[in-house]
Amino acid sequence: MTQEIGHGSFLRRIAIMVGAGHVPGINAVIMGAAKAANNLGWEMVGIRDGFDGLLYPERYPDGGLLTLDTKLIESLDPNAAGLLGQAPRIDPFNVRTVNEDDMVEEVDMSDELIKKLHAENIDALIAVVGGRGLTIMYKLHRKGLPVVCVPRSIENEIAGTMVSFGFNTALSTTIEMLDRVRQAAQAARKIGVVEVLGEQAGWIALQAGIAVGADAVLIPEIPCNLQAVALRLQDKVTARRPYGLVVVAEGVKLIDDDNPQDKPSSLKASLAPLATGDASEHVIRRSGKAAEAVAEGLQLQLAQETFPMVMGPWVRGGTPTAVDRQLALAYGVGALQGIKDGNYGSMVAFNPPKVDFVPLAEAINKLRTVPLDGGFVKIACSLGIFLGREL
Amino acid sequence: MSKKNVKPSAPTGIVLNIQRYCTHDGPGTRTNVFLKGCSLRCKWCGNPESIAFKPELSYDPRKCTGKEACGLCLKAPFPEGAFYVVEGSDDTIHVNWDLAGDCDESLACLCPEGALEMFGKEMTVDEVLEEVEKDESFYRSTGGGLTLSGGECLLAPDFSAALLEGAHERGINTAIETAGNVPWAFMEKVLAHVDTCLHDHKLTDSERHKKWTGVHNKRILENFKKAYETFPDIDFIARTPLIPGINADEEHIRAVLEFIRPHKNVIDYELLPYHRFGLGKYLSLGVKYELEDYKTPSDDVVQRLQAIIDEAFGRSGEEPGGLK
Repeated sequence: MTQEIGHGSFLRRIAIMVGAGHVPGINAVIMGAAKAANNLGWEMVGIRDGFDGLLYPERYPDGGLLTLDTKLIESLDPNAAGLLGQAPRIDPFNVRTVNEDDMVEEVDMSDELIKKLHAENIDALIAVVGGRGLTIMYKLHRKGLPVVCVPRSIENEIAGTMVSFGFNTALSTTIEMLDRVRQAAQAARKIGVVEVLGEQAGWIALQAGIAVGADAVLIPEIPCNLQAVALRLQDKVTARRPYGLVVVAEGVKLIDDDNPQDKPSSLKASLAPLATGDASEHVIRRSGKAAEAVAEGLQLQLAQETFPMVMGPWVRGGTPTAVDRQLALAYGVGALQGIKDGNYGSMVAFNPPKVDFVPLAEAINKLRTVPLDGGFVKIACSLGIFLGREL
Repeated sequence: MSKKNVKPSAPTGIVLNIQRYCTHDGPGTRTNVFLKGCSLRCKWCGNPESIAFKPELSYDPRKCTGKEACGLCLKAPFPEGAFYVVEGSDDTIHVNWDLAGDCDESLACLCPEGALEMFGKEMTVDEVLEEVEKDESFYRSTGGGLTLSGGECLLAPDFSAALLEGAHERGINTAIETAGNVPWAFMEKVLAHVDTCLHDHKLTDSERHKKWTGVHNKRILENFKKAYETFPDIDFIARTPLIPGINADEEHIRAVLEFIRPHKNVIDYELLPYHRFGLGKYLSLGVKYELEDYKTPSDDVVQRLQAIIDEAFGRSGEEPGGLK
């Protein structure tokens, strides 16, 4: 499929696809990869809506593949929503279809996907995917697909890279909104209990909680019991300061002191291939459950009134921050470099000052969680922010 | 209930569960046999473990003793990467469901605590009937029997027909629960051995039916109409799983009544108020439960809709045959 164009270079055709769910900065990744490819004289195409543009080209009157030439890329707004669109599911091993007997079934279309990539003369694929997408790409790579992944995660829980693009934007928006909740709590003389993104890792909750001076921050890494939180709030919420702010990551684990033999209740679970929901979702329980549970639990033990609020989808969108925009461009360029170097079956990792490539086998089944002896935990403790138990 | 002249039964089926002493799925006290495999993907499904045809792995983290105490599943012969522990976190073992798909009974049974289990087991007709026959005396005293459910029991027409025929030969009353989304030949084959047919009318509007279940309802309605006409001796009972915001409205109930009332062998229409009973099962399968935010219908709504049904069947609300 490669064609020599002189100077030891080859004309190549590279495809890029985006996993499910929006993360601010996706267009910048596409721009970075496409510009770097075009500079090498390579052709870059984008697959519309996950793999749908390739698997179901008949659904796209203008074609399921979009040529990302210099003209298009130059006019692309890196702040806008994803150019290539998204599909709710990107798992070619379990594609939900309705068969000729009008019955719903999940079929394995992974072989067909690889055949179609060959038929389109695509040499390699850049996949901009989250945690589960990395496993799917790992399986496709084991079947022979040359793929380099770009990690995308708002929670920043993907291991192997210091920071995923999208996280900084979500953190900034969360801080801005927490400031507003704090003002509302102050005015109403209540305790605001705010659920923020963080099903697997508590980075957003902890960093945003530190930034706004929350009274307590509850994260999945530190199982907590509400009695201890209530006791601490009793000290902090006084007649002179009759309000409070508790930041709760959606994956918070609550311990019931009355039944110590019980394991902490976890709100998280990974998804099975037959999951009926969107592939981007790694959450069994929907948004709002953690805030409700904590607000209600605290109110039962405090004289003060609590009110739950949920950030949820509000912080998933928006214009990428300057940090995310640069990071996303760098990830795009890094992925193209990975293809140029033949680093297939890997994930681009940003570990300053280097851009690394982590084998997918090492990137999956790991989480980048908040270390209890890390700097952010120490800062929070020094600021008097309660983390659910004494550390 | 003589066992004489019982034919040896060849077909096998994937049985999810055999539940005894059931009282809501047909007349009297019954034994419900749940088969695996469904042709719909209802977002409120209370039996997610019945969707796939093949036996499938489930994981109950409450039974797992963790990596330090056990950790067997982290090593061969379990598939590489199927189970893992998060570094720096607790001892809990997690499942990567995308890599655990190859685990079968031979691996699941290696788990000493029973945290890994297979949903579904291949059984012969005779094996199932042997279980069912254990409550023969209850069937006799209450007018109960065997109810075949799922999943969609009509998707295994040979096994289901043989099972129901075998039950009849043993003098056991038979019932099925079906959503009707199968080729007519499947339905026809099984209904030949059925006394009571509990069948779902989930949504009236075909587009909305597709949105919430995955397919249009044209074929389903055609099947039911043909079934009412072809099998006049079967007692048909229509059912609607009642979900606020989806189908808990007067328009749907009246549309179903209009569809069933011309057929005298449709003897009742039952409302099944939606409950999130399946949530725990979703967790153990790692499947997302999409209707988590939906509430159960209020008593007022259920009573109002039930009154419409009672009126259509010419009875007062207190009489039997009302809300189940």
